[in-house]
Amino acid sequence: MNVFISGASGGLGRALANECGKRGFNLFLTDINEGGLKSIQRGLERQFGITVTTAACDLTSDESVDALLEKIDGYGIRFDMLLNVAGVDYEGGFLERQRRDIIRIISLNNEATMRVTHAILSRRREGHPFYLLFTSSLASMYPMPLKATYAASKRFLLDMAVALGQELKQSRVRVLALCPGGLVTTKEAMSGIEAQGFWGDATTNPLEKVAARTLHRLQGRGGIYIPGALNRTLTFFGNLLPRRWVAAAIYQRWSKAQQQWNPSKIKTRTPA
Amino acid sequence: MKTAVITGASSGIGLAALVELAQKQYAIVGVGHDANRSEQALKQVLAAVPGAHVRFVNGDLMQQREVTRVAGEIGAILESEYNGKLDALVNNAGCVRSWYTTTEEGYEQQFALNHLAGFLLTYHLLPQLKRAGGRVVFTGSESHKHMRVRWNDVMFFSGYHPLTVYKQSKLCNILFAKGLNDRYLADGVRAYVVDPGLVCTDIGNKNTGSLVNFVWKYRKKHGVSPQVPAKTYGYLVETEPAPEELYYYRCKPNRYSREVTSENAGRLFELSERLCGIQYPASEPGKGGKT
Ligand SMILES: NC(=O)c1ccc[n+]([C@@H]2O[C@H](COP(=O)([O-])OP(=O)(O)OC[C@H]3O[C@@H](n4cnc5c(N)ncnc54)[C@H](OP(=O)(O)O)[C@@H]3O)[C@@H](O)[C@H]2O)c1
Repeated sequence: MNVFISGASGGLGRALANECGKRGFNLFLTDINEGGLKSIQRGLERQFGITVTTAACDLTSDESVDALLEKIDGYGIRFDMLLNVAGVDYEGGFLERQRRDIIRIISLNNEATMRVTHAILSRRREGHPFYLLFTSSLASMYPMPLKATYAASKRFLLDMAVALGQELKQSRVRVLALCPGGLVTTKEAMSGIEAQGFWGDATTNPLEKVAARTLHRLQGRGGIYIPGALNRTLTFFGNLLPRRWVAAAIYQRWSKAQQQWNPSKIKTRTPA
Repeated sequence: MKTAVITGASSGIGLAALVELAQKQYAIVGVGHDANRSEQALKQVLAAVPGAHVRFVNGDLMQQREVTRVAGEIGAILESEYNGKLDALVNNAGCVRSWYTTTEEGYEQQFALNHLAGFLLTYHLLPQLKRAGGRVVFTGSESHKHMRVRWNDVMFFSGYHPLTVYKQSKLCNILFAKGLNDRYLADGVRAYVVDPGLVCTDIGNKNTGSLVNFVWKYRKKHGVSPQVPAKTYGYLVETEPAPEELYYYRCKPNRYSREVTSENAGRLFELSERLCGIQYPASEPGKGGKT
């Protein structure tokens, strides 16, 4: 089984890579952080003795991706699975952010993900099932004031996953959208959850379980995976209400949370 | 002048051990995590022991490349100022986590810091330890008892339980100390583990979730001051002839788990070598030792 992972040196990427390693899959890893890629490659090879290939790449650049594909075609690799993990978020109100930061959310979360997905799907192993993961977020479930661009970019991925799941069924491509709540992947995430106290703990999903179940679901029936019973319940009831009401409630909550600790410093690679 | 290296020296037990050894006239390199915190610690040390020969090197010891860089800096200091000799290495840096989190290598963080960091640092400083006939001291814990190493999943990728993972990392400290003695006693290098008892430090309040945070805030109040276990570090590195046992509580040998066998120690040694991508050198009796 040959697996391509983007955003592989971030917290969720590493956890999914470990899960693949445990299952003995061969990995092709990419990330913009070259040092981090080398580290995770070493860790995986030492733990699992699997074949790991890495190539640093800025997925928002066509040239950079072309160079990556050349490398892949040079080796003649065909893939069985693609885990789209790379993504960014910059928090803070729409007008408080730099214009470029807002555009960057779309270029990485959406544009780059489409670029990679098309490229790797076109290099899938013939006559075999293919497994395709989009890392969406719980934020994709509602319009989210103060995280509007991010939430909308994750909604895009969710809709892509559901639509492609139907469109490519005949080609034996199985698609899963992963929609986690909080994941403890960075120091900032740890202190953020610490600051939220009980609710921080309650809505946080254990990373290792999410990684294991994601692969299980992906190789099973696909669809949409929202980790955590509480998150599923909140989503279920949230979907019964008019979207405008939910947006208003979210605005209340986030504007309070923003006053409590300064989120402009928080920048996660694989945010939820 | 005798030399010592202490990791996790910027607070808690490590800082108290540093003061203890500074009072005994050691030249010390403290290893900290954060430059500001280390600077604060240095001020405290100099206030307690004016004129102490102490400096700090900083790095995130969870990351293997950082351990290697820190070891290089320490090696250079020992080489240029202390004839390349290290009398005492205290592997003390440690952490508690509430969730499964990984290092750059994708290794579980408690296992990586509490065990692997010391394993790799000791490897890099072994030549200097051999030259001085040095001693290696680990900060272990009573909680290592009633634990076994989960050999088929040492980093608890499935069924992660934070406290169990912490306990296993403390068992690893004793197994590694035993492994070092099994290999290098003949070279004059000897390893010990200190059980500090329950100590009032902030270890459970750094990057943990609300439950661990809450429990530890209450529990640490019952702990002793870090100065209490610090005496045991002084005792273990200074006493001549060298104390014979492996595990000490308040300067006295204590019983440890029956899991601590040469077989398990050897197994952990090999596994850790693989996870660090290193191979410890064979023992060369007669070449090192005190001169
Ligand atoms: N407290 C107890 O009751 C107890 C009982 C048994 C065993 N222990 C053991 O005692 C040792 C010391 O703990 P403590 O209680 O003294 O807690 P502490 O005050 O939190 O000390 C831990 C030390 O390790 C450092 N550290 C943390 N993360 C690091 C990293 N990633 N890289 C490098 N250094 C890092 C800390 O640096 P910062 O100062 O920057 O945070 C600090 O100097 C640990 O091994 C612990 O397992 C403690």
